[in-house]
Amino acid sequence: MGEKSAGEGPAPKNAEDQQIPVPVQDVPENTKVRAVGRKPASLKKPSSYQLRAPYRTDPDVKKLQRKAPARCVSQDPRTAGNSSSKGVSCKQGRSHRTAISDREVCASAEPLKTRGLSKSAPNEQQNFSIGDSAGGNNSVAAGKQLCDAGKKHCGFLGESSKQEDPTTEGVLGRGTSPQTVTLQGKRCQLKLPLPYRKAYSRNSRAWEKCRLCQTSADAAAARNRFIERIQTTFCSPTPAFSPAEIEEELKVLQDVPSLLSQYVEAEPADHPTLQREYESLLTLEGLQTIVSQCLHKLQLLRAAVESQVGLCPDCTGDLGSCSPACVPPRGQMCDSAGVLAVPLLWYSSFQELSDLFALKLQVSMLHQEIALQKLFAAVLTARLQSLSPLRGRCSPAVSSIPAAGRAPAAPSITRTGQHIPRGYICVCGRGCHPSRLLQRDSSRPSCAFLLWEEGGGRTRVSISAMKITPLR
Amino acid sequence: MGQYKEVFHPLPPVLYQLLIKTIYSVLFSIIFFFSDNQIRFVKSVLWYHGYDRPELYRLPSDGSAGSRELLLAFSWLLHRLSLLEQLLARNRVKTGDQTSVQKAITEIAPEYGLEDRVDVRYLQWLNGRLRFQWRSLHAQHQELCKLLHKIHVFTSGSHMDQILGHFSVTETDLVRQPENYKQLLQLLESETMQLEAFLEWKQLEPVYWQWMVMNQTDFERCSFLDSNIYHTLFFSFPFFLFSLQVKTGGEDLQTEEFSVAARKIQESVELKLLDLTYLCAEKKNKMHGSCRLVFRSKHPASKTGFERSIFKEHVSAVSATEVIRELQMREASLDRELKQLREECRQRLDKIAEGLDGVICISP
Repeated sequence: MGEKSAGEGPAPKNAEDQQIPVPVQDVPENTKVRAVGRKPASLKKPSSYQLRAPYRTDPDVKKLQRKAPARCVSQDPRTAGNSSSKGVSCKQGRSHRTAISDREVCASAEPLKTRGLSKSAPNEQQNFSIGDSAGGNNSVAAGKQLCDAGKKHCGFLGESSKQEDPTTEGVLGRGTSPQTVTLQGKRCQLKLPLPYRKAYSRNSRAWEKCRLCQTSADAAAARNRFIERIQTTFCSPTPAFSPAEIEEELKVLQDVPSLLSQYVEAEPADHPTLQREYESLLTLEGLQTIVSQCLHKLQLLRAAVESQVGLCPDCTGDLGSCSPACVPPRGQMCDSAGVLAVPLLWYSSFQELSDLFALKLQVSMLHQEIALQKLFAAVLTARLQSLSPLRGRCSPAVSSIPAAGRAPAAPSITRTGQHIPRGYICVCGRGCHPSRLLQRDSSRPSCAFLLWEEGGGRTRVSISAMKITPLR
Repeated sequence: MGQYKEVFHPLPPVLYQLLIKTIYSVLFSIIFFFSDNQIRFVKSVLWYHGYDRPELYRLPSDGSAGSRELLLAFSWLLHRLSLLEQLLARNRVKTGDQTSVQKAITEIAPEYGLEDRVDVRYLQWLNGRLRFQWRSLHAQHQELCKLLHKIHVFTSGSHMDQILGHFSVTETDLVRQPENYKQLLQLLESETMQLEAFLEWKQLEPVYWQWMVMNQTDFERCSFLDSNIYHTLFFSFPFFLFSLQVKTGGEDLQTEEFSVAARKIQESVELKLLDLTYLCAEKKNKMHGSCRLVFRSKHPASKTGFERSIFKEHVSAVSATEVIRELQMREASLDRELKQLREECRQRLDKIAEGLDGVICISP
């Protein structure tokens, strides 16, 4: 196990060293792995078909066989082109397309992975094989159920990234088959098929009518009468916040503290001019007002929570159990007309789009990191606390020596020959490697580490920064 | 109930079925078998949205009684949540490149209990793998963005819907392979029918509400406090804030130049705090759920001002800039929280480690 962790040592280290934006070369690596992974499976098929090919009279099967050997055999030189063609440049054109279709034809019977990306690959096969081969019917049929399954993920982003490959291929590739659409070439002539256009325009007209449809005055009057009367029968006619509203308000207030701190910290303590000082004063006053209002709102919310918990039909008094069971539809507070309008998210440049995606991923990563941090903190604390009564005894997990040369303090500590660290953990839980401490060029503050000894030492050594100085 | 029978006829079938299911399931629990879990679920949802009528919560959990209460609750919910509109919006057929705009409190609560038996280095290894997956996911996202953008640019001007302007991936594929999308067409057709049913319901809505009012026969109290007062108080706080901003300084100052400068400073401070005030004063105009990605370049050669105004009116559009700003605020707040947690952990471990013997601590 020590080997395993030692081998994976560089991986966590690299993960935290590099920035998040990773050069796109990584993507082909992934796909290369996939491509290679599929190759052995696909190569199995042609050998069996080759044996039977000339003797079958079933035309469908014959077509598949005729296609399969030719394609799969020639797959080898093309897989090399695969990985790079899947990259951003997409310059390999045809070879990329046909190689993918080969893989799919041969691997059509293979069980699909559950990842969205792999589900889209049969779609590609669907797209290509019609154009690529005369005997495309078979693969169409074979791929039909895959395509249907893939269609369920229509609009899922993972799916669409692969679906775009054919069209971007069409952009840059020279198609020999008539089905290849050069998207760029046909830009202004692109037209959606008539049935779709009809259905779409009918649909959007209906949406528009519904959006503009007002509640009639009679209905509104009767409805309001109903609501008023029913609200008189409520326990507390003075409406506190409902739990749904409480959550909405909390969501709004969630980011306020950090932003407030940011502003407060941005104000310098010293001001060179009177104007600056005045500005600073106004800022701080404004911030103070905001803070007091937020606090007030929080007090109201807290009172509302207490009163609501009392009314909760089936909660056992534990606040945590109340709301998750009833995950309400969010956004119910919007006015009805707004709900029926087309929800669009418009972006004005490629940079915006990529920033959007990056930030969304970053936020969800941070959520996970926070959860992980809590977990690590609990684990490390528990571990340390379990260590304290054990003098000199190692817990089973901390048993192996880090590889020689990486043990951070080994040379100095073994002055006495007894204090050989047996295991290490970094306290932040990020998997930092202690050897970083010994690098003279590390400008970033590194983590604290805890080392365990085997055999029970008596001297406690405290080490600071990159110097190792024993305490007397 | 007898004299109201004829009311059922003109109601559109969808709503009729909904009512029937609610009412029958209460009156004839043998027809629709449902557990007390479902009853509890219904009660907790109503509680969650602020339905405060005690008679409902007193209903027995075997579902044997309560048709009137359920009907009242259903009508209340229908109005409160804009139930039908929400259902329509949520189940909208998606023909575009969808992305979600959520500002959810997605808390992941780690489970505790096995701390002393967990192998920490295995955890670290898993952590490293997780980070690697994040990185590759990021790379794939960026790849996706590039391709999406390409499609949007290359197909712009081709869509018959002027507001959208360009195709989505699905629509582009539709051009190449129309026969694959029969199901999509069917979904669009059925949705159109649902929308027409909704319009019919809107015609009959007065009848429904009048009928509901007739159903409310007995009330304990006749008067009601004006709930609007409280609402006004809560939501006018942001206005207080703005007025406060404006009122600070200016009146007592002597020289004109200074007051001009002071006003300038006030404006700049307001601008500075705009983000924050916007955040606190946020009304419920947030977009939730899934949105269609649309590319609109900032310098459209062909787009006129008229089209732009159409764009703003007829759609509920959110700009990526706003979403990015909110996400950045969110990110900053989470980052802060994470740093705080790490610092706490470090300090706690330091403290524990000080009490340990035979342990070497390396601290930065």
